[in-house]
Amino acid sequence: MDILLSHISKTYDDNKNKRVVFRDMTAKFTSGLFCVIIGKSGVGKSSLLNLISGIDIPDKGIIQIGDAGVSDMTDTQRTIFRRKHIGFIYQFFNLIPVLTVLENVTLICELDGLSKKRYLDRANSFLKQVGLFDRRNDYPDTLSGGEQQRVAIVRSLVNDPDILLADEPTGNLDVKTGRAILEMISDLAKKNGKTLIMATHSLEAIDYADAVLSVVNQTLVPLSKEQIHP
Amino acid sequence: MNQHLLIKICFRQSRSHPLRTLLLIIGIAMGVAGVIAIDIAKTSVSKSFDLSTAAITSETTHQVVGSNFNIPQSVFTDLRTRLGIHRSAPVISTHITVMELKNATLTLMGIDPFSEMGLRNLTVRSRSGTTGKDLSGLLTHASGVLLSQAMASQYGLNQNDTITLSFGDRQVQTVISGFLDSRDGATNAIFQGLILADISLAQEILGMGDDITRIDLILTDAAMAEQIVKRLPDGVILVETRRQNRIVRELSRSFETSLTAFSMLALFMGIFLIYNTVSFSITQRRKLNGTLRALGATRKTLFWTVLAEVMIYALVGSASGILLGILLGKGAVHAVCSTVSDMYFVLTVSQTHITVPTLLKGFFAGIFSCFAASVFPAITAARTLPITLMQRSASESALKKYLPLFTLTGMVIIGAAVFMLNFFTRQPGVDFIGVFMIFFGSALLAPMVILLFVRGLLALFKKSWGSMTKMALRNITRSLSRTSVLIASLMVATSVYIGIDIMTSSFRCSVIDWVDSHIGGDIHVSSSDTLKRGLSPRLVADIQALPEVAGISVYNIHRIFSRTSGEVHIFSYITDLSTKKWSWTAADETQLTALLDQGWIFVSEIFAQRNRIEAKMGASVIIDTQTGPVSFRIAGIFRDFFMGGGRVIVNRKLMKQYWGYDDITSLQVFLHTPKTVAPVIERINAFVPESANVKVVSGATIKKGILDVFDKTFLITSALQILTAIVALTGILNSVMALLLERTRELGILRACGAETGQVGRLLLLECGFSGFISGVMALPLGGCLAWVLIDIVNRRSFGWTYDMVTSPKIFLGAVTLSSAAAIVAGIFPAVRAGRTDIGSALHME
Ligand SMILES: Nc1ncnc2c1ncn2[C@@H]1O[C@H](COP(=O)(O)OP(=O)(O)O)[C@@H](O)[C@H]1O
Ligand SMILES: [Mg+2]
Repeated sequence: MDILLSHISKTYDDNKNKRVVFRDMTAKFTSGLFCVIIGKSGVGKSSLLNLISGIDIPDKGIIQIGDAGVSDMTDTQRTIFRRKHIGFIYQFFNLIPVLTVLENVTLICELDGLSKKRYLDRANSFLKQVGLFDRRNDYPDTLSGGEQQRVAIVRSLVNDPDILLADEPTGNLDVKTGRAILEMISDLAKKNGKTLIMATHSLEAIDYADAVLSVVNQTLVPLSKEQIHP
Repeated sequence: MNQHLLIKICFRQSRSHPLRTLLLIIGIAMGVAGVIAIDIAKTSVSKSFDLSTAAITSETTHQVVGSNFNIPQSVFTDLRTRLGIHRSAPVISTHITVMELKNATLTLMGIDPFSEMGLRNLTVRSRSGTTGKDLSGLLTHASGVLLSQAMASQYGLNQNDTITLSFGDRQVQTVISGFLDSRDGATNAIFQGLILADISLAQEILGMGDDITRIDLILTDAAMAEQIVKRLPDGVILVETRRQNRIVRELSRSFETSLTAFSMLALFMGIFLIYNTVSFSITQRRKLNGTLRALGATRKTLFWTVLAEVMIYALVGSASGILLGILLGKGAVHAVCSTVSDMYFVLTVSQTHITVPTLLKGFFAGIFSCFAASVFPAITAARTLPITLMQRSASESALKKYLPLFTLTGMVIIGAAVFMLNFFTRQPGVDFIGVFMIFFGSALLAPMVILLFVRGLLALFKKSWGSMTKMALRNITRSLSRTSVLIASLMVATSVYIGIDIMTSSFRCSVIDWVDSHIGGDIHVSSSDTLKRGLSPRLVADIQALPEVAGISVYNIHRIFSRTSGEVHIFSYITDLSTKKWSWTAADETQLTALLDQGWIFVSEIFAQRNRIEAKMGASVIIDTQTGPVSFRIAGIFRDFFMGGGRVIVNRKLMKQYWGYDDITSLQVFLHTPKTVAPVIERINAFVPESANVKVVSGATIKKGILDVFDKTFLITSALQILTAIVALTGILNSVMALLLERTRELGILRACGAETGQVGRLLLLECGFSGFISGVMALPLGGCLAWVLIDIVNRRSFGWTYDMVTSPKIFLGAVTLSSAAAIVAGIFPAVRAGRTDIGSALHME
């Protein structure tokens, strides 16, 4: 599914302080590719991902994912759409502390009302792939940061979404672990044919990416590899 | 770091969460208001009792009274002329109602102005304001009475206005000849319940002929007392005024004791709920405090900042609680006083009495519980390393570490309380300290019980429950330090609810049982004439002859004076078809009638308690009779719920011999089928000549009347129950809102993962429901225990009556449902808000 953003404007009202994040921004993410979005902290990378996933809605403009017009949906419709088509990975892992690894991973499927049979095998096989099958009954706070992020990766994949969104997935990890996670995400995305959009301020991800974009002057501009590695 | 700045930061935070701040203040205010309202009701009723009983016996040392409440006036003349006791005065004293005062009940006091001069100093002012006007001058008016000035102006009555006094069936019109008004406020308060008349006028109004109620005396030496006793005719007794007043006052103490019990319960509940509210709002500051510490705020400044902030809210909350409590209390006083007058004791004065100690009690309950709730978090805020403060899990792990200690302490406290309740119940006050200890101990057990409960449920339903349900349960144990406070306070509230419920329903069951068996009868026939109370034997025979009639209880009932318990009702049966519930018998129940015939007597529980009769073989009691004091052997003690000095049953022969009555005053008619009640009442009425003043009512009417009074009596307890529910609701709402705030991020994740608004809301409601359910279940044993204390200790000790504790699964089921429902209702608003969590900003905040 291609993702199409056309003429998007987004402003945050924060106690009378208006902050324009996007102004008449248009962009397209092609299905099956790995896109990296870079930019300084606070330019609007997270906001962009939130718009794509329907967590937030634009003030103006249209967001189209495949045939679905996300920006025109009701909140519930967007929620259900997100559940079915979008996987999310965060900087702070965002696992639910009171659920075990397995329960965290299968939560989305459960929310979707799927039967256990349909997702349990899938969840277990992903957990095996990331090497955490043995820890499936442990709680997240007993896991290291890297392990927690691996659980989050599995969670984002288990309901077989078309699109994977990753918001600084390595931002909270040391360099070595970060690289491993990066590799794992891009690897799994490619293998399963997912569109992957990753926001990051580390430049390492660029090596894995098919395309690189940057938020400049409230819009998204494509960068060539030369521009990044002068 | 400067303290001003810290306080400013804290208040900024409160200002940016006005709803939370408001809830905190409301929570404190509700707790304080509950304490104050019940306490006002209690002190006001005590004060009204005091004023109504105090009358103006002030200086007198002794009283001469009749064993059947009347003595001939000649006794007085005799004392004056033969013994030359000049400091003596004849008195008539009876309750009457006054139509013009909206049928208020007052004490009609008939006095002899000339005798009074040597005895009482009644300062009276006439309307025109001439103070110290002679009492005799005011009372010489042929049919004039004196009324309290305050009462008169309240009802717009003037001098020479006519008022109608009712006494039983009699109605007499009199003229107001002046007003009672003293410079002294206390005396004026007593005047409010009084109508003063010349003694001959009083005799006329009451149709007493030449009889008087009592003679008030001031005696200076014991020899004189002995001399008087020697001269008094049989059936006339000399008693000490102080002692007599004390006995009358004791009658009402029982009611006050039970009110004290409720005010204590309100206090406990208030403390628990305020603690809950405050501890929740203070832990919300954990992170802020951690940051401030990290930035260099010293321990001491932080400690004082936290405390100062909470204390400011405590002040505001307690102050508004006092206002609210006074409002509620005024309503409660009115309800309670009318109840008391109906059932226990005629209150001629009803006042809202707001005392400083009451207000202080409420105020300090608020301040103290706020302090207690904040001091621990304040210490931890100051003590802990900044980094651990920033993580909530630190306090949770601290709790887990102390869990065994908490549990053990809780058990020890409960054990000590149970020991105390079993062995030291004689001392008043001990029982409520015991109850508080049990509450406190159970609160300490709460974290462990919650932990086990949740683990048990999870283990039991591991397979069948979804992650959301498990999440709800595990969330409870995850913030155990918080949820256990919430659950414990909800538990206390629920158990108060259960305790009162069991007490009232048990009591009601026993009362119904008593009405049905002891009072019984389909139709009651009695004289409504307060003076000539005998029914004609002809009437009895006529009723007996009716084909619908299966049987009749035929008896007489009279009031007699008892030194030890005041007014006692004495019965003697010709035929007795009632069944009694015995709390003790000297012999097998089948033998009791035989014992009665041999001259033994039956007494009611209350009489037994007032006379300190021990329920064992050989028990006996001395009762004043017309022929002097006589000792009677007791064959049995029966359960009886009439208030007053109690009841005594003797055989016909004794009644005639010792009290001079062999009339028939009452009949209980039993029919073959209850269907014919109305036609039979009509036929009985037809037997009765118009002039005979015979009252014929159905048993159902009497039962309804008694149960109505009963239900009114428990108005105050129902009020307490409602209060419990309201206070509990505010408490939970507060805590859930606080928990919600802490969860914002987590709810954001859930929403981001694709949980719908409804699913998130349901999670929160589920959490509330589980918490409520756990509280409800934990409250069951606690509520049962409270009911036991109320029934077996408080009620028995204060009223002297026993009743069986009746518990039904319905009560327990109802309580669990109630606490779950309350928690869910309190969760609705937060749940809706949780559903609306703005995912973007929830995840944004880090
Ligand atoms: N929910 C929100 N409310 C108000 N302001 C927001 C919100 N989300 C983001 N912003 C603002 O929008 C800007 C972009 O934020 P964000 O997208 O998080 O940046 P990035 O992820 O690139 O660091 C920031 O200035 C931030 O303050
Ligand atoms: Mg960001």
